[in-house]
Amino acid sequence: MTEQKRFVLVGAGGIGTWLADGLARLLEYKYPGSALVIVDGDNYEERNKERQSFTQMGNKAIATAHRLTQQFNDTTFIPVPKWVVDDNFAGVADEDSPKIKASSLISENDVVFAVVDNFAARKILFDAASELNNIDIFTGGNDDALFGSVYHYQRRDGYDITDHPVNNHPEYENPPDKNPGELSCQERASIEGGTQLLATNMAVAAFLLGRVQKTIVAKQSPDEAEIYFDLAIGKAEPYDRRPSLVSTVNN
Amino acid sequence: MTAINNSGAASQPSSGQMANVRFGVYTQPAPVSGKTVKDIREQFSKLWGIPSDAVAYKGKDKLDENYVVGPNDNLEFHRRAGEKG
Repeated sequence: MTEQKRFVLVGAGGIGTWLADGLARLLEYKYPGSALVIVDGDNYEERNKERQSFTQMGNKAIATAHRLTQQFNDTTFIPVPKWVVDDNFAGVADEDSPKIKASSLISENDVVFAVVDNFAARKILFDAASELNNIDIFTGGNDDALFGSVYHYQRRDGYDITDHPVNNHPEYENPPDKNPGELSCQERASIEGGTQLLATNMAVAAFLLGRVQKTIVAKQSPDEAEIYFDLAIGKAEPYDRRPSLVSTVNN
Repeated sequence: MTAINNSGAASQPSSGQMANVRFGVYTQPAPVSGKTVKDIREQFSKLWGIPSDAVAYKGKDKLDENYVVGPNDNLEFHRRAGEKG
């Protein structure tokens, strides 16, 4: 019997739509009978078509799950049209902005992809993952132009194989932004998406798929857990984020 | 986390030996041992566009601007991760 997986994709926007297609193909042909959970409380808008792959309007999780279900028979696509919040969330979960707690969403042995466009929501997922014994959580993002980065946080048998990103990134230690799931509809609508580029969105998705191929499919060590890239100068640089790393050059 | 500051230490690292300087996609071995983080930031900031408030790390340790870099150190100026998606 072939191995089955549960992938959880949080964010079905500029990076998430392209990543969803790749993950669906991977599950369909490498791990038939698996599930891809797609989580997003946001809706597609006409202006998203410039960078995002969708065929119907409405909630992003539902629309993406519907699109992929029509293409792949041996994978189950589960839409969760909700915003992810942390366990201490005390706001109102109304019909217009339904929530799901990160600790309820992810579980042991999941492979999670946090491709939301803010550090606060990603940190919620990393923190929830840090309470589990065996989990992989990948994140990726891009800036306005051709720069992007990806990060892989892995835990095995209750230990960090790679660092929680809060150890290397002040923006995760003290997120400068707010989790959209904790904002009102009006506040969310006022958030600027920036001027993103299709090429960079797709490159982040490609780098993430590359990490999955190496560390999940081939089960190799996630030594270079963080990768920065800049398409403008054609350069990528890996960073070793293992907790035991001695920070000296090996000559 | 308290930043590491070894200024005033009894034995300062020998100068001019190689250390690794990194910022985002950029990485370069350079003869910077014996220099402070502040000096190295100034040396590389224009070349690589390092912001003045980019935190300096050696491994997981945040470094004070007066930290004197030693031979073979990996000095990383923090590059903020890509945010949007």
